[in-house]
Amino acid sequence: MNFELIKSKIIKNIQNNLNVNSIKRLLKILSSKPILSLYTSSIKSISDKYLNIYTIKYMNEVYSGKYPIAYGSLFLPYELINGLGLKPFLPEVLAGFTAGLGVTSKTLKAASKEWYSSDLCTFHRSAVGAFELDLFPKPSFIFASNLACDAAGKSFLNFAKKINIEDRYYLIDVPHNDDNESINFLSQQLEYIFYDVSKKLNKKPDLEKLKQSLINSNKFRNFAQEANEIRKNLFDYPIYFNGLNYILPFFGLCGTKESVNLFKIMKDELKEKLLNQDKEKKMKKVLWMHLKPYYRNEIFNILEKNNIRVVLEETSFIFWDELNPDKPFESLAKKMLSNPLRGNGENRIKAMKYIASTYNIDGVILFSHWGCRQSNGLARIVKDTFNNMGIPVLILDGDCVDINNYPSGQIKTRVEGFAEILNSI
Amino acid sequence: MYYTCGIDIGSVSTEALILSIDENKNYEILSYIVSKTGSDSKNAAYDSFKLALQKANLAENQINSIVATGYGRVNVEFAKKNITEITCHATGVTLLFPDVLTIIDIGGQDSKVIKIDKVSKKPIDFLMNDKCAAGTGRFLEVMAKALEIDLDKFGEIFLNTKDKVDITSTCTVFAESEIVSLIGHGVPKEKIIKGLIYSIADRIISMVSRVGLEAPVCLTGGVAKNSGILNAIEEKLKVKLKIPFEPQITGALGAAYLAINYI
Repeated sequence: MNFELIKSKIIKNIQNNLNVNSIKRLLKILSSKPILSLYTSSIKSISDKYLNIYTIKYMNEVYSGKYPIAYGSLFLPYELINGLGLKPFLPEVLAGFTAGLGVTSKTLKAASKEWYSSDLCTFHRSAVGAFELDLFPKPSFIFASNLACDAAGKSFLNFAKKINIEDRYYLIDVPHNDDNESINFLSQQLEYIFYDVSKKLNKKPDLEKLKQSLINSNKFRNFAQEANEIRKNLFDYPIYFNGLNYILPFFGLCGTKESVNLFKIMKDELKEKLLNQDKEKKMKKVLWMHLKPYYRNEIFNILEKNNIRVVLEETSFIFWDELNPDKPFESLAKKMLSNPLRGNGENRIKAMKYIASTYNIDGVILFSHWGCRQSNGLARIVKDTFNNMGIPVLILDGDCVDINNYPSGQIKTRVEGFAEILNSI
Repeated sequence: MYYTCGIDIGSVSTEALILSIDENKNYEILSYIVSKTGSDSKNAAYDSFKLALQKANLAENQINSIVATGYGRVNVEFAKKNITEITCHATGVTLLFPDVLTIIDIGGQDSKVIKIDKVSKKPIDFLMNDKCAAGTGRFLEVMAKALEIDLDKFGEIFLNTKDKVDITSTCTVFAESEIVSLIGHGVPKEKIIKGLIYSIADRIISMVSRVGLEAPVCLTGGVAKNSGILNAIEEKLKVKLKIPFEPQITGALGAAYLAINYI
């Protein structure tokens, strides 16, 4: 039995019958033992294998109707949401799945009918379209923040209004400063959410469960940090491994045992690769900024072919200190405020410069995702900062979700041209 | 002594160039061909190669190495290596003008700016136009058709016309509609042509600014043969541009020169 053939049949079926039932059917087929083992046997990396198994299991749970679902934007304190016993569902991440399934022409069309302009980021447009097409499970709660991206707050409000749960929609206001006043302001909001959601769930506030969530988060953090340390010196690098595939566990599953297990497996796998790697092998190291296209593309294969590896993705960077489980709200507020994407861009530059020096990077690729103001607005400064350090920068214009904005020939020339520059230094 | 060939397959034209080159990399251009790519880039590459061989009085088996470049480079199955037009243009231009630090290449369907390192003479940065045809040779062709004026006359018209009208649309399709509307309003075609040439120059200047202007600057690509564009860019940049003896062959020259590394 050829899994690729089965996969393409299933995907074609979804493309032709785009509805929530076909998604559920796909998840059911994928989670059946023979198919799951066939599927995972084709995955070379142990951590990627676990990532896929867990994602399928997780998505099955999300679509089962047995758990209260919480929609959330990317940069939220998911320790809080998981600690409340809610199942996080990240529409922006799921928009990436719509790209992988090849259904964005339909989701984007559905969003345009809802007055979403084509200059808005396709993560949000595709998510709105998927919601309109009834592809997402219905949420009990919705959370968003104004950290980095303020489109989430608006498009998520649209979801809340559509299903009349505006009283269960929480917009977390993250200040631009990180002084004590800001920490208090933010931690009070998180505390309010914890008690208000518990009340709406008719549950007694369970601080012990929240504390355990923070303990798990610390364990995950430390494994992820160790994995990053290993990557600094890992040259015999598995091309199939890419931190940009781990957005869901890195953000949405913070506080769960699954994220702890997953990042421990990752750390162990990379450690073994480091021990067994060809000591002579050297590759050029690149820092990847922002996200990547989530449909089939050849960017990373081109890099591999040209002896270049992504040493770290901006989204894999551990930017926060360990959390204090005895002070959950203050800790989580501090974590949110440590995010390099907070503020006017100076924090992001500072963090990227830190990565450049500690990871000895040779080049930077900033994927300039269409419509993403918070990232693209900093392109000039990113370019100047790294160029002044003698590090070449490629600003790669494209779209993470919409394949129609992926001119493959032009992207190939840009990436290969950049690779030639790096390899000539 | 070795014989090498560089083939540059662009969206509009294909160039093949044959070099004789020794181990010290002293070279001589034996022949070159500039022809239309047409709909079959594979055939265009092989046909140009054969014509260049004929011109150089060489047989196919005498060529020691072939490098392909340009957007159609992957289709040249008989090449030993594919190298991007960024590296090939930079190599070709620095062979002709060793002091050049910025290259502006305006081709049929894309335009690019390449920054050269003063010491290594290698490219250190580049920028290519986005996926639309504005600011390229194709843009000019479409406009010439809409104006019903031969593209070859654009340069002369630009130099002999005082005033211009601003062309506000950068999109090729909208610019064409704008031109049709201007003609309808009785605006002289000469003024429209002057405005069109400035609009292309503005797009190129914006790209140069992003990469950072460092003189001397070389202009290459088919559009470099248009004296109107050349003058408009020189006027805006306030820099005298260097133009190769044949602006379309620098990519193929660079490819042929680099081919010695793959013998």
